[in-house]
Amino acid sequence: MTVLGLLLLLVFLLLGLVLQQLLHMPLPASILGMLLLLFFLLLRGKTPESLNQISRTLSPLLPLFIIPVSVGIVTQKTLLQEHGLLLFGIMALSLIPGALLCAWIMKGGKAEL
Amino acid sequence: MSFLFATPLFWTTLTIAAFALGQVLYRRSHNHPLLQPMLVGMVILVAVIELSGSSYQSYMAGGDYLNQMLAPVVVMLAVPMYAFVHAMRKEWLRIVVAVSLGSAVTIFVAGGLTYWLLGDEVVAKTALTKSITTPIAVAVAEQLGGIPALAAAFVMVSGLLGAFLIPSLLKVTKLNAPQSMGVALGVCAHAIGTARALEEGQQQAAYAAMAMTLTGVLHAIVLPLLF
Repeated sequence: MTVLGLLLLLVFLLLGLVLQQLLHMPLPASILGMLLLLFFLLLRGKTPESLNQISRTLSPLLPLFIIPVSVGIVTQKTLLQEHGLLLFGIMALSLIPGALLCAWIMKGGKAEL
Repeated sequence: MSFLFATPLFWTTLTIAAFALGQVLYRRSHNHPLLQPMLVGMVILVAVIELSGSSYQSYMAGGDYLNQMLAPVVVMLAVPMYAFVHAMRKEWLRIVVAVSLGSAVTIFVAGGLTYWLLGDEVVAKTALTKSITTPIAVAVAEQLGGIPALAAAFVMVSGLLGAFLIPSLLKVTKLNAPQSMGVALGVCAHAIGTARALEEGQQQAAYAAMAMTLTGVLHAIVLPLLF
């Protein structure tokens, strides 16, 4: 029943939108929908089969749904021409302290997964 | 033929075709990170838009059909997230601390340097989303008043650089225990880092997927409240 899973996703997305509008929350509606669904799953104690099915169907297509927004980079040509290399450098540099800190904090623990 | 470039269905079809071609190339190249279907698809579409002299608006008239699926797919991310809640019950405090502090350092260095060197608040805000997995990053960038397309580019560049740099960095500094490697890759290089972590081992990949998920949720909640 893949369609039930899809319905569930859309209902939670709408609930997220309602929550956002009613409480004037700064979070995106999709994030609120995701959090609501997470709480629902935690309360329920297991994932409905319909959700597992829609997840298996849609997950491989996720990168496809991201392409349209990422193509929007064509509107940023001036920025990239002027500062593209600098931004690339900033992205590279900023990884180093974050990665080292994460790794150092995790080092003390035991690998259990 | 130029009427095609004004037909929304043409752009929808081309997006799916470019993605399908990307999938073939990715598989043929044994999952080379530079040949990811999303990256290949984006490059092909940008090329066609530029060569045909079309605008992003006319592209989006067709691309938006696919774009509309992004929000329900973000909601769907609750499913893998729920699976991790069970997996991390023993070490949750250490993981939460590592993810919170590590990801805060990397994004504030990026956002701070961008603001300092470019003096552009919108671009700096967008840089703050760089450690979030793309579907969530795009939504958060929009909420912050950043540029969603630029957020997608930052996320992708961070992922590629992280997958390339982090394993060597941690091996040189002897911080390459499986849980360290996994969490560092998940926090700093999200999905691409998780794929790279799988090459190091199953354990590394599990930690990476968990760290990526946690970072995404944490930043999606905290960033809009702070900025």
